[in-house]
Amino acid sequence: MTTQSGAEALTARNGALSPLAVRLLAGIVLLAIWELGVRAWAPAYVARPTGVAAVLWSVATSRQFLIAAGATLTAVLEGLAIALVAGIATGIAMGRSLAVDRLIRYYVFALFAMPMVAVLPLITLWFGYTGGARLATTVFAAYFSIVLNAADGARAVPAEYLEVSRSFRAPRWRVLLDCVLPSSLPYLLAGVRLGAARALIGAVLAEFFISVPGLGTYILTNSRSFHHNEAIVAVLVLAGSGVGFDALVNWATRRYLPWYRRDEKPQ
Amino acid sequence: MAARSSLLFRWGLTALSLAAGAAVWEIVGRRTGAAFMAPLSETLTRLWELTRSGELLRALGSSLGLFAAGFALSVVLGVPFGLLLARVRLLRIALEPYITVMNATPMAALIPFILSMLGFGFAPKMLVVFLFAVFPILYNTVEGARSIRPELIEVARSFRSSESALWRDLLLPFVLPFALTGIRQAIGRALVGMVAAEFFLSASGIGMLIQSGAQNFDTAAVFAAILLITLLGVGLMELGAAIEARYAAWRNVRR
Repeated sequence: MTTQSGAEALTARNGALSPLAVRLLAGIVLLAIWELGVRAWAPAYVARPTGVAAVLWSVATSRQFLIAAGATLTAVLEGLAIALVAGIATGIAMGRSLAVDRLIRYYVFALFAMPMVAVLPLITLWFGYTGGARLATTVFAAYFSIVLNAADGARAVPAEYLEVSRSFRAPRWRVLLDCVLPSSLPYLLAGVRLGAARALIGAVLAEFFISVPGLGTYILTNSRSFHHNEAIVAVLVLAGSGVGFDALVNWATRRYLPWYRRDEKPQ
Repeated sequence: MAARSSLLFRWGLTALSLAAGAAVWEIVGRRTGAAFMAPLSETLTRLWELTRSGELLRALGSSLGLFAAGFALSVVLGVPFGLLLARVRLLRIALEPYITVMNATPMAALIPFILSMLGFGFAPKMLVVFLFAVFPILYNTVEGARSIRPELIEVARSFRSSESALWRDLLLPFVLPFALTGIRQAIGRALVGMVAAEFFLSASGIGMLIQSGAQNFDTAAVFAAILLITLLGVGLMELGAAIEARYAAWRNVRR
């Protein structure tokens, strides 16, 4: 089966390599290009795959690194959780009430469009050079994309559902919980995905700014002291969390919302 | 009549919303310390001063130059490469997972490496904007490439379609709307990249304006600069959405 689909997937006459084999080969080629390119043209301190592989284990098991990774990822998850709860409430209010929508839409959209890194100096002014500032940044980064998507979702509730619930005289909160929330879930998940990516960027940039322990700070200090290989390990963890979170949301969408066809236009 | 009153309702609420926002900003600004938050009136005064002295326009010009250079580079390299991936399936299959990974990686994490390898010039900052912007473009373009059904290419081939006709009638119409979605998403990311580059590489443009304002406890200047960059963000995003709606209208019709 793999060879069959693999042969089909490749352009004709390419033999029977499966897509997985093609991808692995491509990965090896990319790593080789990186390795040889750095060896040929870059100074010795620049990170290259063999160098990263050599330090990978000792960095990944070092206390300092684990604390840094834990701090950043915790801040991202906490920020995301806060943004999610607040964002769902705001977004559904916007989507279901024209008055609320009119009252706050300009602010939400403007703050969504504003690059969140621009407010970092203000956030440090308000929260000090603390982990609180980082948490605030992640909340701020994730909140507005969740609001916009939740509002889209709440607007997209099929009118028939609402009509039916009205004819059965369902109380308002039941309509919200049983109709509006479930049918806006796919939008919400899209918003969470986007929000998570933004929160991750926000956390790293905040750490560059306030230098509390975290992966961003780890990268900054190690690259300053020319330990690029060590710093790349932190980048790998960040990349892994980004990819992992994406995969988790995609999986949850397929597993729990199979009725949902992939939306073509996420915010 | 109902339409008119609802129109009145809408615009009334919008006006109310703007007035309330301005009032809250002003009152909170006045009640907290001057270094903590600047009221709207002070922010606007400072905005006017900075505009008159030319400082604001210089910063805006420098930032826009950085944005345009990095963004143009990501479009010029990203879209054709995406099209190439649409045409050469083997290449697409090989690179797809790596593009997905790069798209999900916070590019901000690479800034310190760029700083220590390339230093403080314009080129490293442009590279930052480019890295922030190029992966959404590639990611979406590849998704467009994946949406082309292989039968369509086969049919075109069986009718002896020339390579140029294949590109014009099949690849471009399929991939372009996705590329435009990518370009729209890239605008927001490129803006973040722009400010991040101005903060963490050599200070310049609006980023420098914000940072020097914060250092001198000139909060009104910080707010003025943030107001400017917010307007810039809204404007650019609206532009991206308008272009997407204009040239990608058929994408949502399909299916």
